[in-house]
Amino acid sequence: MTDLLPITLLSLQVSTLATLISLLIGLPLGTALALSKFPGRAFIMSLINTGMALPPVVVGLFVAMSLWRSGPLGDLKLIYTPAAIVIVQTIIASPVVTGLTAAALQQLDPRLRLQLYGLGASRVQMIFSLWREARLPLLAALMAGFGSVISEIGASMMVGGNIKGQTRVLTTAIVLETGKGEFETAIALSIFLLTITFLVNWALTAIQQRGRQ
Amino acid sequence: MTVLIEVRDLLVQREKKTVLEIEHLSVEAGEALAVVGPNGAGKSTLFLTLARLLKAARGTIHFDGTSSLNTLEYRRRIALVLQEPLLMDASVKDNAAIGLRFRGISKAESDRRVGHWLGRLGVAHLAERPARKLSGGESQRVSLTRAFVLQPELLLLDEPFTALDAPTRLRLLDDLKSVLAETSTTTIFITHDLQEAAKLATRMAVMLNGRVHQVGEPRQVFAHPADAQVAEFLGTQGG
Amino acid sequence: MKRLNLFLSLFVLLAVMLSACAPAATPAPANPDLILATTTSTQDSGLLDVLIPLFEAQTGYKVKTVAVGTGAALKMGEEGNADVLLVHAPASEAALMDAGFGKDRMLVMHNDFIIVGPADDPAKIKELGPKDAFAAIYNAGVPFVSRADDSGTNKMELSFWKKAELDPTTEKPAWYIESGQGMGATLTIASEKAAYTLTDRATYLANKGNLQLEILLEGDNALLNVYHVITVNPDKWPKTNYDGALAFAKFMTDPATQAVIASFGVDKFGQPLFYPDADRTDADLGL
Repeated sequence: MTDLLPITLLSLQVSTLATLISLLIGLPLGTALALSKFPGRAFIMSLINTGMALPPVVVGLFVAMSLWRSGPLGDLKLIYTPAAIVIVQTIIASPVVTGLTAAALQQLDPRLRLQLYGLGASRVQMIFSLWREARLPLLAALMAGFGSVISEIGASMMVGGNIKGQTRVLTTAIVLETGKGEFETAIALSIFLLTITFLVNWALTAIQQRGRQ
Repeated sequence: MTVLIEVRDLLVQREKKTVLEIEHLSVEAGEALAVVGPNGAGKSTLFLTLARLLKAARGTIHFDGTSSLNTLEYRRRIALVLQEPLLMDASVKDNAAIGLRFRGISKAESDRRVGHWLGRLGVAHLAERPARKLSGGESQRVSLTRAFVLQPELLLLDEPFTALDAPTRLRLLDDLKSVLAETSTTTIFITHDLQEAAKLATRMAVMLNGRVHQVGEPRQVFAHPADAQVAEFLGTQGG
Repeated sequence: MKRLNLFLSLFVLLAVMLSACAPAATPAPANPDLILATTTSTQDSGLLDVLIPLFEAQTGYKVKTVAVGTGAALKMGEEGNADVLLVHAPASEAALMDAGFGKDRMLVMHNDFIIVGPADDPAKIKELGPKDAFAAIYNAGVPFVSRADDSGTNKMELSFWKKAELDPTTEKPAWYIESGQGMGATLTIASEKAAYTLTDRATYLANKGNLQLEILLEGDNALLNVYHVITVNPDKWPKTNYDGALAFAKFMTDPATQAVIASFGVDKFGQPLFYPDADRTDADLGL
């Protein structure tokens, strides 16, 4: 099946991009939640926790309804494009990365901040030092974010449409081929998906464990 | 002798309650001031306020003749050593150099200073070791190294040896005393161990209930407590 | 910091990679994007994998084929979320046309439904007509799998229960299994449970190798599954690509395309999966 490689490539592109954007959102937001006190903090924290447990297919439904022509953002013409899948996967992964980042930083000794300031750290230097200190759980947050989207089906199906050559990713292709009775193809795709998830997790785990000294 | 740091009319509050009130306190350059007192006397509050990690409701802190340094400039002229060493997940060497990195000191200069001070404090052989794997005494020596490499004008220590066992504490006290003598670093250190105060300090301040009751040479204070409360505090400590 | 740089360069690389996924155009109509809503069984037959590339090459339109359940496909037409529909639920399509959501409706092709089941045929439906077959299954109480998803197939199944004046969907007897899924999955369930089910011939033939089901009833006129192509009415939904929709409708009814439809599946299954009807009328097919 010659489609195997483009489908795998699209899965990787879309999920990696979504995870990276989630990192750009989640790392600063999680850090702010962990370190600052501001009005509404508790509310945002509970939103994040709810977001982590949100069924992805529900996210997919709401995003699809917004992106349809009949929806408020229809004019953006994003429905049934890879960009739409990136959007929905970012929405799914961001709470995961944010919540786990906040947890990672909250586990650090609160006096560490004082000590770093007392050694002449600026606020930015202090934050970077904390990130370095919590790099292992932060890496785990990244892995969790990626894992939450590479295996996702429902939302990717709804906003992407599973269109051949355009928005067909590994998970949606597996469902399609299984529904058609093409079990051999479905299994081949599944092996690709398993291999990717294994390799990514293995690589990140290796980095993480190496840092454990 | 010049006054390095002078506190005037200081008032610090926590949740609307006054926890620290000091009309006047000055520390001369090169001297070591011990701040003693029971728990809750306000010693840590004074410590954090002098480090500008806590904001005073009222009053001024004059440092080297000025009270208008911004917080970062001020903090980069001092160094802090806390009760728990709080070393990062990195090598001893990297931990010791962290304050130098914050100040943008060159790698060559940083390596030189770190090498010198790790040696001076007796932990040079641990330079490549992961900092998390040190004993209590070794960790605290690294924490001291981390402060001394910065060549601070003011060194603030918060009960640095309380968490250590007696023999380790004594050895560290001796080493610290000789280092302070060599460098003439102005030092303010919190302790509730009067023997420590007696050994290290040129002057001692007794704090009770957020106020400084007496300041003077340790021998003097022990011999002539200023009031009944000070006497009671010193008495219970078996001074 | 090194890791931050690595991430940033990876990010940039991916952004470039994704932006490189721009569609290429041959002949270029003004608005090349066309959304075709069709059903999962139509897509699963594989016919569109042959026809769509032909259409795109000929006209330069870029088709987004979205395969959903019949109900969802019709709804997409009603809400202007698709430009053209290829569906096979004539009664519901009539309602859509009456409400003014469709502009052109053209007969394209048909295939037929068959009843499949275990080879030993416990309900003995082989010599019966479809209505009597359903009654026989009901009375014998043998397992029957329903799509139960409002699809064209499901609607046909329900019409037969109604003709036989039976109502297993409300009574929900133990032998009546509601899969709620597409035809392929439903066939698999029927095979595993040695049950009867109503299916379109195309999906059955495509899945036959994995199934332990035989064709037990076929050929009755009442079992025809008729496909129409419907352009969504631009008067209702000005944003739809009517030109593209009309081009697609004309393509599907064009004699050359109809010939492709007639030959589809013959080399693989020994019989065609669809029968072209563009030269006939609804009345010819008993609608």
